[in-house]
Amino acid sequence: MGGENHEGEIRLNHGDDESGISRVGITSMPLYSKADPFFSSADWDPVVNGGGGGGFSSSHYPSMGMDNPGMSCFPHYQTGSSSGYHDMPASLLPFGDCGGSGHFLGSDKKGESVGRLVRAGDGHQVSDDVVLGGASPARKRRQPEAESQWNKKAVEEYQEDPQSQKKQKNDQSKEKMNKESSQSEEAPKENYIHMRARRGQATNSHSLAERVRREKISERMRLLQELVPGCNKITGKAVMLDEIINYVQSLQQQVEFLSMKLSTVNPELNIDIDRILAKDLLQSRDRNTPTLGLNPFTGFQGTVPNISTSTNPQYNSLPQTTLESELQNLYQMGFVSNPSNMSSFSPNTGN
Amino acid sequence: MERQIISKKKQVFSVEPTKLSPSEVFTRKYTSHLVPALKKLNMDKNSSQINQVTVKHEVDMALALSAQEFAWGRFLLQKLSSADSKSSSSNQTQILERSNDEDGEIEEKMKELQELLPGGKEMNVEEMLSEIGNYIKYLELQTSALKTIVQDTT
Repeated sequence: MGGENHEGEIRLNHGDDESGISRVGITSMPLYSKADPFFSSADWDPVVNGGGGGGFSSSHYPSMGMDNPGMSCFPHYQTGSSSGYHDMPASLLPFGDCGGSGHFLGSDKKGESVGRLVRAGDGHQVSDDVVLGGASPARKRRQPEAESQWNKKAVEEYQEDPQSQKKQKNDQSKEKMNKESSQSEEAPKENYIHMRARRGQATNSHSLAERVRREKISERMRLLQELVPGCNKITGKAVMLDEIINYVQSLQQQVEFLSMKLSTVNPELNIDIDRILAKDLLQSRDRNTPTLGLNPFTGFQGTVPNISTSTNPQYNSLPQTTLESELQNLYQMGFVSNPSNMSSFSPNTGN
Repeated sequence: MERQIISKKKQVFSVEPTKLSPSEVFTRKYTSHLVPALKKLNMDKNSSQINQVTVKHEVDMALALSAQEFAWGRFLLQKLSSADSKSSSSNQTQILERSNDEDGEIEEKMKELQELLPGGKEMNVEEMLSEIGNYIKYLELQTSALKTIVQDTT
């Protein structure tokens, strides 16, 4: 619903191509002063603040903080759905900074539509229409003149998002990356990391790619932070890397130590795999999943406990009762009592 | 080959294979690799030849075989298969004495990490970081599996 409104509005605005945009942009300026009460109006504000506060960590957008509060609306663009906005606000930035992002549409219509405009989920249509309505020549014309300004002021980064209106964004970012401006047809939807140059930063393709790379790296570092115990409070790459190195080394040493122990006890090796598995899973279950509520050794048949699929890197292995019993049986048949089978499974058959 | 056999058998075994968490899958794979190998070791060399190196080799081999979906796993397997008696414990040589005053301090640390990870030197930094993530996780799993085995036999 809101999207439809937006469509209409946007088409209106961008139907005039540049002039439309400039008009919109200009009108956005006075609106910007009015923006603050508008910002605080119902829909938009929480979204904006939510995006600004929780949408991204500070390390992600260092330049965000320094810009006017209007800029905080950008985090919306992070979410795949609202990622279409980058184009519109970007186009208006030269005129009214981030404030224009919402405003340029709101200038003509009621503010509510603007709020909806920026909210995630509506972005699709809006930007799509912007793309289509704006027409390629408009885009082309728009970009070269505003590109330098955009580059300095837009703060965007998109994760890969093959769906939605990335076509147009593909063009945009591609143009930025390649410094070519004649992409009239929409590029095929691809997995891109769309980067927009941040304020005050160089805009040549090398540094953009560099920035993408750095963002990737910091994202991986964040994931690693969750993996390595006790790294939640650490900020800073170097310290974090130190911790990771230490942890990996300690893990490797542990493995070494355990294997040494294993070699000393090896002569007495008459273990059963099933026992090991059961014990191992039991241990890890106790360690990691406090709320399993299911003893693997009871209730063999029927219901398999719901597994919390490991979406987080922490492993929480939940024993499957039926699975385990099956495994036990089959292991006994397949492994323990049949040396010929074992040899086939031995990893060092080449010896 | 063997691993595929094992995995096929695993699928035969399991009632609902899709519900296995990857850590469970790994643990089962790992122990199913390691324990038979140890037994074979035990049987083959009934004298006290079972030194730590071979055991470590088996340990690492089991890890590599159970982690073939990762680049580091494949690399580890390659390294182990090609150099049979090579002691992989030399990975733990402390490389910490690097100059910290270069502007590439972070790069130095990255290089360290790369050396820790099997096959890390051939990867670029981003790949390496993601591989390190699951390497850590699988090391943890391996540690717990080993602990269980050791406890079981003592």
